[in-house]
Amino acid sequence: MRFIDTRHDRWQRVEGEDGPVPHPNPQSERLLTLEQWHAVRDTWPPNLPTGVMLPNTLDVDMLADDLRGPQSRLALVVLQFPKWTDGRAYSQARALRARHRFDGEVRAVGEVLVDMMPLMQRTGFDAVQLRHDQSVEAAVRALGFFPGHYQGDVRQPQPAFARDLAAENAAASARDGSALFAGQGI
Amino acid sequence: MYQYTEFDRQFVRARAAQFRDQLRRHLDGELPEDDFKALRLQNGWYVQRHAPMLRVAVPYGELSSRQLHQLARIAREFDRDYGHFTTRQNLQYNWIPLARAADVMDLLAEVDMHGIQTSGNCIRNITSDALAGIAPDEVVDPRPYCEILRQWSTLHPEFAFLPRKFKIAITGAREDRAAIGWHDIGLQLLKNDAGEVGFKVLVGGGMGRTPIIGSVIGEFVPWQQILLFIEAIVRVYNRLGRRDNLYKARIKILVKAEGRKFADAVNAEFRHILEHDQGGAAHLIPQAELDRVAAHFQLPAGIEVRHAPDLPRLQANAPVAYLRWLERNVHTHRLPAYRAVTLSLKRAGPAPGDATGDQMDRAAELATRFSHGELRVTHDQNLLLPWVHECELHALWLAAREAGFATPNIGLLSDMIACPGGDFCALANARSIPVAAAITERFEDLDRLYDIGDIDLHISGCINSCGHHHSGHIGILGVDKDGAEWYQITVAGSDGSTNSGAATPGKVIGPSFAAEEVPDVIEAVIDTYCRERRPGELFIDTSRRLGAAPFRAAADAVRRATAVAMACSTT
Repeated sequence: MRFIDTRHDRWQRVEGEDGPVPHPNPQSERLLTLEQWHAVRDTWPPNLPTGVMLPNTLDVDMLADDLRGPQSRLALVVLQFPKWTDGRAYSQARALRARHRFDGEVRAVGEVLVDMMPLMQRTGFDAVQLRHDQSVEAAVRALGFFPGHYQGDVRQPQPAFARDLAAENAAASARDGSALFAGQGI
Repeated sequence: MYQYTEFDRQFVRARAAQFRDQLRRHLDGELPEDDFKALRLQNGWYVQRHAPMLRVAVPYGELSSRQLHQLARIAREFDRDYGHFTTRQNLQYNWIPLARAADVMDLLAEVDMHGIQTSGNCIRNITSDALAGIAPDEVVDPRPYCEILRQWSTLHPEFAFLPRKFKIAITGAREDRAAIGWHDIGLQLLKNDAGEVGFKVLVGGGMGRTPIIGSVIGEFVPWQQILLFIEAIVRVYNRLGRRDNLYKARIKILVKAEGRKFADAVNAEFRHILEHDQGGAAHLIPQAELDRVAAHFQLPAGIEVRHAPDLPRLQANAPVAYLRWLERNVHTHRLPAYRAVTLSLKRAGPAPGDATGDQMDRAAELATRFSHGELRVTHDQNLLLPWVHECELHALWLAAREAGFATPNIGLLSDMIACPGGDFCALANARSIPVAAAITERFEDLDRLYDIGDIDLHISGCINSCGHHHSGHIGILGVDKDGAEWYQITVAGSDGSTNSGAATPGKVIGPSFAAEEVPDVIEAVIDTYCRERRPGELFIDTSRRLGAAPFRAAADAVRRATAVAMACSTT
């Protein structure tokens, strides 16, 4: 998981005094609203690294042609958590990865709290912009509690019943130098 | 019953450690209440009227003696020496200080228990038929599927923050004893003509202020595909369910609003998962996994599959109390030599479903002695011993009577369902426990209870319907009017069981009643039934045949405090 420091983020929005510029000029590493992206999609060079912000009310299928394969146009999709208890973006992230096989960055913004990290990591987010009062240290620790999960996810598509749990257990024990995982991060 | 593997055990310990870390940050002021709330809820910790409430998950109602002893210990050492068994087969504590919460979770983890997803807007603990695996009318034992679904839904990363809570119930019997029509997803195991096992899938049932019975979205989903099919339903709900209005956020509202489009969206999603998604087909349940889990639900060691040759004959002069207990609290079993026996938690005094630490220990001892160490928590808030040999019924009756569990009232009026209500619950508009106590007192006479016969009385302290008032043959709902407690009464609701008929919400019999009027109203309703019934006709059938009108008239005749309100509302 990458923790975004907004002061050093290479992705820049294209905004004027009245909000997003309707038809931005082609430039690398621009983070566009969906409207901006629709406005420039057919005119910007296809190889320009571009990011899009998707509201959590929309279906990621609408970006299907931009996500995958030789036509892939997007390097970053930013998903939103307007409230941290609004879980729609977990489904969006999972669909980006598991359905559309998107391999660019999937970033969470909005009300992003440290205790959401395990869910985010498992649904396919690889970058987060934590809420200003959150600690990166606590977020890293939050990722360390569970040795494995029952159901498959983006990182581990196989459910527990399809895996060799004994081998996983042995490998993790060897790695941690302890027989148990519980609370290893503390 | 299911025995935890090393993986399961580590998982629950990891959850306890994670919660301890979150609690420490909260108590240290690092994690404000707004951010902590949803985390503690998903571990079963509410903050109620007096103290936090802990809801412990009892997966599909199965408990071991060892677990129940530990629950008794927690009641004694951390609570005020009692707990409350709920309609969703869980156990609630009411008085544990939050600062000691992590210690309790560690004690629960010692006996493979936890509070995972017993609250919050996630997939809740799955419920089932209390007679699962032992019912004579069972087509398929639902417990292996319950366990597989429990594992799949546990800490599902995509579905931890749904628009609202999400409840799944499963039955594998002909009779629906799990009220599946009243759940967000109801599953009924079936066999098709070829003998293959699959699920009839209902979606969009629920109580609350908009009671709706689930509608069929899959007539026969092969068991191998059930995780994918449920994933499709929950994903469509997560994406499209309403989040702007708490009261319209349950899946029932989405299903009702979208109708056919909802089913189409689910079926399209299901095909995507199955045919395209990475990891989708990996969640088809393999035969080997079903076999592995099903092996946990084999008969306990030492069970006699055939009839015992030397049956004790019932004494001609057996006490009436014993005969009544045999009639009401003892249920037939799929094995001829065995019975399922309900330990009644409905008796004068304690609130329905309550048990002290000592009573939990006594129930656990009875299970050890008479039921291979296994118990069930029933939807009706009693405990049940699933493996009692018929030769031991009399000995069990004596022991159960001594422990206060032998009230022979199962299925009768005093075997009522009630939520904790306004005495404990911060959501409640009115108290449930005093109403339940007043009715229990009024109908103390067993002869009268037997004359009234089978009846479901359900009491909820508010419209959230934890006491399932909608599905009661008689339902009582607490409402708040100008700061006072009032009670709305319904008749002819059904949970979907054979006696009760197709699941349906009850009909209101007029404006609400004052608390002190409720026992009179119930009595008037019951008297109307006794007067109008045909020979052998149950309350539910009479009430359905007659409709609400005669009950309403009888209830109006005993109004005192509400006469004024009535006059106002009719002019």
